[in-house]
Amino acid sequence: MMGSMLVVARKELHSLFNSAVAYIVITLFLGLTSVWFFSVHQFLARDVASLRGYFGLVPLLFVVLLPALTMRAWAEETSSGTLELLLTLPFSETQLVAGKFLGTLSLVAVMLLLTIPVPLTVLPLGFFEIGEIAGQYAGTLLLATAGLAVGQFVSACSRNQISAFLLSALALLLFSSIHVVNAVLLLPRGIAGLLNHLSFSYHYQSFERGLIDTRGVAYYLLVTALFLYLNTKVLVLRKWR
Amino acid sequence: MIELTNVHKSYGAVQAVRGVSFAIGAGEIVGLLGPNGAGKTTILKLLTGFHFPSSGLVQIAGHDVSEHPLAIKRRIGYLPENAPLYQDFTVQEYLQFAARARQMPREEQEKRITAAVAACGLDEVLHRPVAALSKGFRQRTGLAQAILHDPDILILDEPTSGLDPNQILEIRRLIRNLGERKTVLLSTHIMQEVEALCGRVLILNRGRIAATGTASQIAAELAGAQRFAISVIVPEAAAESVFDSVPGIAGAQNVTVQDVAAGPAPERTGAVAAEAAGAAAAPQTVPAERRLVRVSGEVALQRSAAARDIDTESGALLFDWAVARGYKLVELRPVRHSLEDLFAELTRS
Repeated sequence: MMGSMLVVARKELHSLFNSAVAYIVITLFLGLTSVWFFSVHQFLARDVASLRGYFGLVPLLFVVLLPALTMRAWAEETSSGTLELLLTLPFSETQLVAGKFLGTLSLVAVMLLLTIPVPLTVLPLGFFEIGEIAGQYAGTLLLATAGLAVGQFVSACSRNQISAFLLSALALLLFSSIHVVNAVLLLPRGIAGLLNHLSFSYHYQSFERGLIDTRGVAYYLLVTALFLYLNTKVLVLRKWR
Repeated sequence: MIELTNVHKSYGAVQAVRGVSFAIGAGEIVGLLGPNGAGKTTILKLLTGFHFPSSGLVQIAGHDVSEHPLAIKRRIGYLPENAPLYQDFTVQEYLQFAARARQMPREEQEKRITAAVAACGLDEVLHRPVAALSKGFRQRTGLAQAILHDPDILILDEPTSGLDPNQILEIRRLIRNLGERKTVLLSTHIMQEVEALCGRVLILNRGRIAATGTASQIAAELAGAQRFAISVIVPEAAAESVFDSVPGIAGAQNVTVQDVAAGPAPERTGAVAAEAAGAAAAPQTVPAERRLVRVSGEVALQRSAAARDIDTESGALLFDWAVARGYKLVELRPVRHSLEDLFAELTRS
């Protein structure tokens, strides 16, 4: 079970690193977050020993960058016919979905590891809370987990990569900004709370401050599980279509 | 080994397979033959569990494909239509992926990959990316993947498409060798392929089985009568309806009558030859009833149930007929119905 999943994950990583997409996404992520942090956010001028600003841009960047990683996941397999190959090799749908997800997630993990020089550079400049930074990284990884699961699901429903990319970006934008409705409309307390708790960014805010909120952890993991489950169902459903 | 029972498959409004049933035993090589869109590929997709049937039962080795997909996928080697491959892999990486997917131990991976590469003639392209391969090599890479784990059942969708004539012969030889120990189901629209490889043929047309049997069984069934192309030299007076006197004749077609060009008289003179000589010497004076003509045509003979070697027995019969009548037999050739004719006849819209 695990073995097969890892075979798929490895294949997925191989494909990602063999295409330019992985490198472009990593470069963009590292470049944009740093430019934002040092030039726009003016970290050095603010004189505050916190990486909150650095992680502030992440939800917005992920709206565009995560779909770029997941768009090909199934759409490319469908259009090139290799889906038939994958589905007729001895893998279960669960192994395929989990394997692909794991492959892309490990790429994001590598990307986050590559950001470590930023905190290392600024750490000597002030008294940073290591716990806060750990919380920020944990939140970012969880946010990516949920975003990738949504993107991979959308890719399974799409026939080509472009529509997979655009639809996932739209879905992530909705997920990230649904709580903004509360800033515009005065909704009943229950509904307003629900909208907040449905939002990727709302939960991310506490991680951004360095708090590991179990509600946030549960939320991201639930979204991930739901969309991975739906992903397997889409694969099975296609056989019956 | 493989059994389909009243299988239907629709894609939206399109009925790709309509009520197909057949069974294939272990060790058989069976060909699915049919024009494009007849449902060949759909049947193969149903067998490999890539699609599930709309209704009916698809079983492999006694298991329902939609209920035990994993167990079945392990036993099958499958070459999908157009041999889809990962473009960014080299041939070796691709085969390694397939070997790992089949959960082979590491030492066995090496061994099996080497064997499949040798069988499919892939040594020279082993380290080339798939994207840079010619159609023939891609096809062979796909085939190497299908035979990698030495499966009991091979399902090949147009295995020789895109290959050059030498490669086709090689791959056919490979399939024939594999077929000695395995069950092979292949699809094709090339008749020679079926005639060259398959013990049994299923001819599909518009989602239904139009005929089944060995190539020659189908031919015999459809032909009904035995046909010969024949030319005889006969007196002009007898030219019309000359074939009516053939015993057991079922009909004659494309009958043409030609004047015989005058030639030197043969040394041994039979009745007919003498007249030919006479005709040559004085063409003006030979009366119409003594002039010779060459009658050619295709005659169909009724088949006798007792005849085992029809070509020889019926051929001898025609020869005897010509001799008895004193006609000169100048051509006698059995006309075989190729699978191609049958195919055209069965699938004509």
